[in-house]
Amino acid sequence: MTAIIKELLRSRYLIQELVIKDLKLRYSRPLLGFFWAFLSPFLIVIIFYLVFSLILKVEIRGVPFIFYLMSAVFPWRFFQDSLICSVTSLIDNKNLIRESNFAHYLIPVSIVLVNMIIFFPPLLILIIVSLWVLKGLGIFIIFLPIILAIHIIITVASAIISSILYVKWRDTKYILEILLLLLFYLTPAFYPLSLVRTSFPPLLFRFYLCNPLVCILNLYRISIFRDFYSIIRQDISDLTFIIILPVIFAISLVLLAIYLYRKNKDSINDYLSY
Amino acid sequence: MITSHTKILQEDLQPKTIFLRGISKKYPLIRPVSKDVTDFKDFWALKDIFFEVYKGQALGIIGRNGAGKTTLLNIISGVISPTHGEISVNGKVLGLFNLGVGFQDELTGKENIFLNGIILGFTRKEIEDKLEAIIDFSELGEFINMPLGSYSQGMRLRLGFSIIANLDFDVLIIDEVLAVGDVLFQNKCFSRLMDFKRRGKTLLITTQSMDLIEKLCDRVLLLDHGEILFEGSVLEGINRYYALLNTERFFVGPLHRQKESWFENTKKWADNLSDWGKKFGTKDVVIDKVEFINKFGRRCESVKSGDPLRVKVNFVVRNIIKEPHFGVAIFRNDGVYCYGPNTAFDGYEIKEIKEGKGCFELQFKKLLLAPGEYMVSIAVWDKNEILPFDFHNGYYKLIVEDCCNSGNKFPAIPTQSQLLKIPFKIRAISFLQRMNLFKDRYRYIPDLEILRDRWERKIENGGIKIESVKLFNFYKQCCFFSFGEHSREKNILITNKPAELIVTFSGSINYNKSYLLWIGLYRDDGICCQHITQPFSRIRSCRILFPELPLLPGNYRLSIGIWGTSERDFLICHHGVYPFQTVFNQPDHGTVYLKHNWKWRFIEN
Repeated sequence: MTAIIKELLRSRYLIQELVIKDLKLRYSRPLLGFFWAFLSPFLIVIIFYLVFSLILKVEIRGVPFIFYLMSAVFPWRFFQDSLICSVTSLIDNKNLIRESNFAHYLIPVSIVLVNMIIFFPPLLILIIVSLWVLKGLGIFIIFLPIILAIHIIITVASAIISSILYVKWRDTKYILEILLLLLFYLTPAFYPLSLVRTSFPPLLFRFYLCNPLVCILNLYRISIFRDFYSIIRQDISDLTFIIILPVIFAISLVLLAIYLYRKNKDSINDYLSY
Repeated sequence: MITSHTKILQEDLQPKTIFLRGISKKYPLIRPVSKDVTDFKDFWALKDIFFEVYKGQALGIIGRNGAGKTTLLNIISGVISPTHGEISVNGKVLGLFNLGVGFQDELTGKENIFLNGIILGFTRKEIEDKLEAIIDFSELGEFINMPLGSYSQGMRLRLGFSIIANLDFDVLIIDEVLAVGDVLFQNKCFSRLMDFKRRGKTLLITTQSMDLIEKLCDRVLLLDHGEILFEGSVLEGINRYYALLNTERFFVGPLHRQKESWFENTKKWADNLSDWGKKFGTKDVVIDKVEFINKFGRRCESVKSGDPLRVKVNFVVRNIIKEPHFGVAIFRNDGVYCYGPNTAFDGYEIKEIKEGKGCFELQFKKLLLAPGEYMVSIAVWDKNEILPFDFHNGYYKLIVEDCCNSGNKFPAIPTQSQLLKIPFKIRAISFLQRMNLFKDRYRYIPDLEILRDRWERKIENGGIKIESVKLFNFYKQCCFFSFGEHSREKNILITNKPAELIVTFSGSINYNKSYLLWIGLYRDDGICCQHITQPFSRIRSCRILFPELPLLPGNYRLSIGIWGTSERDFLICHHGVYPFQTVFNQPDHGTVYLKHNWKWRFIEN
């Protein structure tokens, strides 16, 4: 573990350069440039709002529905884009990898960092707007960095795992796409948690809560929206569960990523050519 | 005064930069994308590579496309890891592989310099310091701020080479890219590479430009099919590579195309024995006198086997003749065609001969014929060998005698049954064993009469088995059968090229007994060309090297047997079982190629 951290520190220039490269590739040519990083998540939120609020008439207690959507869409987009970009990243960057023998995982790591950079500004805007509209933030805002950290670790680890798997099994990409779609509908992004609780039997609801993304999404909401804590208490009795589960999940994913990388790092380059 | 500080160190004292031991690389089995491919197996790109490179050396790696050069370089640079083997590289390695590796088309040249440099392990600061030098060296000017997608191959090379040429390293690897640059830039690269060499950097270069290898490298490594064929001096390596390319032209590609320029068969028998002793022809030319001249310059009727021989022919020209050619043919007295060179086959053109006298002379350097009686025909033919001007068919008798020092021929097989005396070397036996066996010299001689009706049969009496029989051409290329005759097209040797035969045997070999290994070279029609016998004990394999196998194109068979010294029969005998073929790049007649020269002289009236 310390060796990996050391290696990460040693290759910080490389990561920095990879991130700059990626940002340049994304935003140097479009007319609106980096503005798209703000524009596209908000446009998505607006579309969701139009569909779910005006057509399906989903009702949320405590917070305006558009805020509720934003708090789900931004973290979710970070997670999903990171994975979708990472899964093919080793193959896409095989030119770079074959140039010199740097650690392969730096590429998915840099991709997650790029997505994180894009994720932060909308998140900041959301916090400012909720401070202004909901008249103040709750005490839980101080846990936001910890929640972010857990979320990023889960994203990095799953990005590394999927990118390594994709090198050997090209089916990974399609499985991942379907899995992400399923996970999105299984997280309370545009429907309230109480709806699930009332329509599911208690055991199934318990199972539904085991999805770490459900936990993380609700933790984001608790920390950003002032009154959300009391609302969530009505649905979930012991909140320690939704804190412990993502932590355990993050640790096990990191261990799995390390194991997979160790096992495959010598053979990855052989598979890159075909 | 110039004082030199250069010390010449012993090779072993010099620090080794690169050290490879038993490197093999297997590419993993991949499910074929196309359904047509049903037979797929692991691909070994490199097999058991051993070599080392010392500090300050420039090593050229040559070989055909797909020989494993790039894989080897990739392993040295650490980009891929070997399946087996040990590798150690001291110092920082930089590589310039395929153009475009490590470059991003969307980024500008300058941005690519940073990205590339950092990937190669340098810091942004280091690259900023060198940026000016890199851009200057590349001579790209304004283009440095253009996206790389707009660059040509040559410009990419300029950028790639400029980056590595200005950064610090210990080992530099360049893979077949320099050829893209223009001559000016190539010269610039070359002088920069020479400069690195002087500064004690180690260079590894693959290229198809032998010129560059010759100028730059101290040593070459010739790779083929993942194996090292040769390692050593540059000139020899390059020559071997060219020789390899020449043989490959024959062995690669569809069958009908590969044999275009090669002759596969020759005339093997005299036309009609009853015509022997007759003279034919239009008598526009009359052959006066035919002389055989031995190595002392004397006229003779018999020569010793293996000695030089000159055939001198005087003739008179009565009418002017156009495009004649001279021919000499040697037959054994039973009609077996030994050799029939003529000036047309050897590529000489004689425009015309006017009335007068003349003589021609054929000089054989070594008469590799077995002792016996031979008949010689002498002829002056027209261009297409249709109409003889004068043809003395089987008119002259030549006797070849046994030479007294018969080399390492221990037991004497009756020489009458043989045709040739091809020189060979046996590498199987130590000197001491040779001395021991010398005592038994004439004690046992295999009785080849018993083989008379055993053609194409395998007889195995004792417990000894022949494990494998392998015939290699000189480049260890077309190794032929062990026992699976699956690769029949490849059982092809080239006339006058080296060949090596390796026989290994197994089974219950009694170590206290001596055996006799017998190898017979036969023509396809059962005419025996040569026997090789070799007493042995305590060994399990025998290598026989023919420095130049002079068998003319045609089909041949190998026979192999082991004769026990006490029994009166072969313990094992595979008679005429192993077929092979020879091909040659010029037409000829007969069975054996004897090295020769032509000379002629005319005096007009």
